[in-house]
This record gives sequence, structure tokens and C-alpha cells, in this order.
Amino acid sequence: MKIPMESSPNNFTAVDPDYFKVKLATWLIQTGSYLLVALLPLILRLFGLPVPWWLVILPPVLVLGLALPILRMLRRQVRALGYREREEDLLVRSGVLWRKQLVIPYGRMQYVEVTSGPLERRYGLCKLTLNTAAGSATAVIPGLREDTGQALRERLVAAGEANLL
Amino acid sequence: MNEWQRVHPASPFVHGWLAIVGLAWVYWQNTDDISWAERFTGSRLAWTVGIGSAALALVLIFYALSWYFTRYRISETHVYVNAGMVFRSQKQARIDRVQGIDIAQPLVARLLGLAELRFDVADGSASVMRLSFLRKAHAHQLRAEILALAQGEIPVQEEAAQPVPLMAKVPAGRLLASMFLRLPTVVGVLLALVLGILSLSGVGVLVAGLVPMLLGFGGWFYKELNNSWNFSASATDTGLRISHGLADTKQQSLPAGRVQSIQISSPAFWRLLGWYRVEVNALGVGEEEMSNLLVLPVGDFEAVTQVMGILLPELGVENQRAVLHTAITSGTDHGFTSSPARAKALSPGAWKHQAFLSTGSCVITRFGWLSRSAAFVPHRRIQGMVLQQGPWERRRELAGIRLYSAGGSIMGYMHQLDEQVATEFFAAQARRQVER
Repeated sequence: MKIPMESSPNNFTAVDPDYFKVKLATWLIQTGSYLLVALLPLILRLFGLPVPWWLVILPPVLVLGLALPILRMLRRQVRALGYREREEDLLVRSGVLWRKQLVIPYGRMQYVEVTSGPLERRYGLCKLTLNTAAGSATAVIPGLREDTGQALRERLVAAGEANLL
Repeated sequence: MNEWQRVHPASPFVHGWLAIVGLAWVYWQNTDDISWAERFTGSRLAWTVGIGSAALALVLIFYALSWYFTRYRISETHVYVNAGMVFRSQKQARIDRVQGIDIAQPLVARLLGLAELRFDVADGSASVMRLSFLRKAHAHQLRAEILALAQGEIPVQEEAAQPVPLMAKVPAGRLLASMFLRLPTVVGVLLALVLGILSLSGVGVLVAGLVPMLLGFGGWFYKELNNSWNFSASATDTGLRISHGLADTKQQSLPAGRVQSIQISSPAFWRLLGWYRVEVNALGVGEEEMSNLLVLPVGDFEAVTQVMGILLPELGVENQRAVLHTAITSGTDHGFTSSPARAKALSPGAWKHQAFLSTGSCVITRFGWLSRSAAFVPHRRIQGMVLQQGPWERRRELAGIRLYSAGGSIMGYMHQLDEQVATEFFAAQARRQVER
């Protein structure tokens, strides 16, 4: 692949492969709940209500048609996530089709948060968020091992203090 | 000075005139089966007068107490504002931390010739301290005194250095014309026409759905008009001072040092007339944190250069005027880099006009087809950058960059550049960001 975003993929630290399980579980919950709603006409029909056939078939097909391609991308999406600590700034890359690479100088950092939801906690993962004065310039690195996340936060805070602009 | 003073006695009324209206409304709602004649005859007369005067007395007592307990004091170092009778609040602001004082006049205050002082203090507190209300002249005098104290000077009685008027008031005719030439207005007017025709031909159902949209347009139009009416700007020794407003007038000072990024835009129809609009992202100025501050509602190139001369005096190039002109029109003169012809398939109209230039002091980006806007982001105001590439862009070896700054939604947007150029700029800019 000759893409600027991945010109030096080896310099990036990938997120934990276990994050795929978190993504998968999230996908299952989401798709499951959408499917439940989409199957409502079928249930109504089973109860003898006169629901037309197209209304029974179309919603589940649509939901699956949208959700399955996402499932196919999940593993690649997790592999595409990565960060790189440079001397004076942090790079975060993400995305498979729509690739993004965000750079934030340590000196612009306002605060760093480490959060973890119930699903992430189950696999011992956490999410690191780095905020600047600009709302749009926020770096989010999900799927870090808890100790990695804490250590990264410590390093970022230290670097931020050293680089106050 | 240096002793407790009370605000203008009419202030509680300005704060609470809605309460009077509300009480009257409640009374009206509960007795609307009685006609006017009945209200003031016989036994009803006593009730009407009784309820009316009781309510009035209650309101007046509350107003009087509220006025009595609202006091302010200005010492050498602090401004204090105390308010509240049951829930007391005591606020103070350190004068040497005062960064600016805005004078605001809500509609009712304006009718009574009163004004409110809003202190912008750089001590990390989110809320703005307000002192309301004072006579307008007194408010101006107080503002000048406090600002003088803030600069460590001896208080002077008259307005210190008079700001230099930068340009004449934006004429009402031009402002209205400019408003009607903007897309939301055009759409709104068309919608109103459709609505009229439909209701005349008797299609009632559709109309009901369109009315909320039309109200939305009306609200937008009024907000814009209120913001831009009577707009004037003057140059002070630290930056810009703007005053504007139709129903609510407002004066704001915008120190040039607080400008984070600037956007000069030109909606489609304005381009024929050579009109521009200038907005900025600024820290600690304006009501909402995340909204852009309007510094020129409509003006020609001359006005734009004047405003830019104050907001961003160093463009980082030699022939500033020419570069500014290229930046807000089109073309690649003076070193602008535009999208390659490969981008034509993705943005058939805009590709020719998308361009950027990195100068000694800032990055200038331009995008848009029919309506164009140029953003100026000083290098040292960039908080973070994103390099991005979608699947179609990847096929054509294109990539885009966004430059984010604080204080609003304006960003440097470099759309569909050559992949190589974008990566190189991204790397170079990241290095530049950490230079000191």
C-alpha cells in the first residue's frame, strides 16, 4: 500500500488486539437491538395482524445489509488504530477507508483522561482522551491495556509540563 | 469610588419586567370570561383594584428589596458586586486581571437609557461578572476608569484615549441588501412564496409542515439582523472595539492578541458585488464559548484590509495586500498551492479555487465553489492538525488537512491537495508547531 498515512506504519504502537472483542461485543449489541426493532413487523404478522410482506422482509434485510460490511471491517479498523509518541508531539492514526492522522503538540495539551466502560473493563482495557483548547483537536486512543494507558498518561502529562508553550 | 454604591433604581424592573407581564397574563387568563365593562363596575371593581394593587405592591416590595441589596464597590484592586437578599452572592474581580469590559443594553434597558457592564476576567472562572444596570453615561465613565486602573494608571474622569473610528457604520441599506442575498434568506423567501401559493390553492396539509421551517428562517434572519445592525468598529491601542445591535445593543472590545483564527467569507451572490464578511475565533470574548465572533457583517475589500490590518497585522509576506486579495478571491498567484486537476472528478466546481499558502506567520486556506471562504490560522494558534484521506481521494492520490484552533468553529481547511504536498506540509507544520 502506498498511502501517506501508512508510510511508516511500524513506528506506530498498535492498540491491544483484545480491543477487537470489545468492538465485536458492541457490534453484536447494536445490531441485535436494531434487528429486534426491524423484526417487529414479523412478530406482529405472527400474531395475525395484516402486515404486508415487504414490510416484514425489508427492515431486517436493510439492517443486516448495513451491519455485515461493518463486521467485515472491524478487525481491520482495530488494526488501523495506533499512536506514536514523538519528541514533542503525539500522533494518532485511525480508519481503514477514511484514514485520519491527528497530531497534537504536547505543549497544547490541556488535560488527559483515562476512562473505561464496563465492556472495556472486562478485557482490562481503557480509553485515553487528550484534550486541547480546541474542541475538535481531541485525540482519542481506545483499546489500551490499563497499565499501558496509565503509563502513557503519566508520560503525556510530564511531557506537557515540560513543553508548556 | 471606594465605597458601596447602589445600581440604578430601575434595574430590578429591567431584570424582572417579565414578572409583571406574567402576572397580568395569569390574571387575564383566569378571568377572560369577564368583559372590560364588568371588571370596573359594581362589586367587581373592588376586586379588580384590590388584586391589581396587591400584586403591584408585592412586585414593588420585591423590586425595592432587590435594589436595596444590590451594591457594588470599586477599590484600587478589586470590583465587588453583592446581590441577593435570601441567597446572597458576593462576587469580585481583580482589576489587574480584567481583560475587557463590554457594555450591553438589552431592549428594555435601552428604552430607559440604562446599560450593563460585563467584566471579562482572566482568572479561570467561566462566568462573566455583570454589573447591571447603570445610566449609560455613567457606565461608559466607569468602564474607562476601571480600564485605566487595570493598566495601572491614575483614574481619569473623562474617557481615556478615544478609539479611532475605523470605518463608518455599515449602512442599513447595504446590510439589508446583503442579508437578502444570502442563501438562507433566498431559500426562506422562496419557501414563503410556495407557502403562499399553496395556501391560496387550498393545500392545507403541506403548509402546516412548512410553517416551523419558515419560523426557523425568521429566527435566523432576526438574529443575524440584530447582530449586524448599526455595526461599527473602531481601532483601540490593543485591538478592535465593535458596537452593534438592533434591539439589544452591545459594545465589545476584542484585543488582537486573543484572536485565534479569522475567516473571510463571501456568499455566492456577494461575490458579484465584491462583498465580504469577517468572523473570528477569539478566546474569552462573546457570550458562548463555541460561537464565532462577527467583526464585519458586510464590507468591500477596502474594509477587509482595514480590519485585517488590526486583527492580523503581520501576514508574514511582503505584498500583504495582493496576497490578501488572492486569498479571498481565487487563483494561485503569490505562491498559493491549489488542488491538482485530478481533483476535478471529486469537486467539479471547487477544485480550481481550493488552495493554501503557508506564510511566515500563518496558514491561509481557501475553499468553496459558489460561495468561498478563506481562513487565516496563525501558526502559533494551531492546537492540532488532522491529515485525512477517503477512499475516492486515495484512488486519485489526494489528501486533505484540517487545522484546528480554539475559541470557535473556524478551521483551516485544505481540501483535496496532492497527496505528496499534503504529507510534506503536514510533517513540516508539525515540526514548526513545536519550535520555540
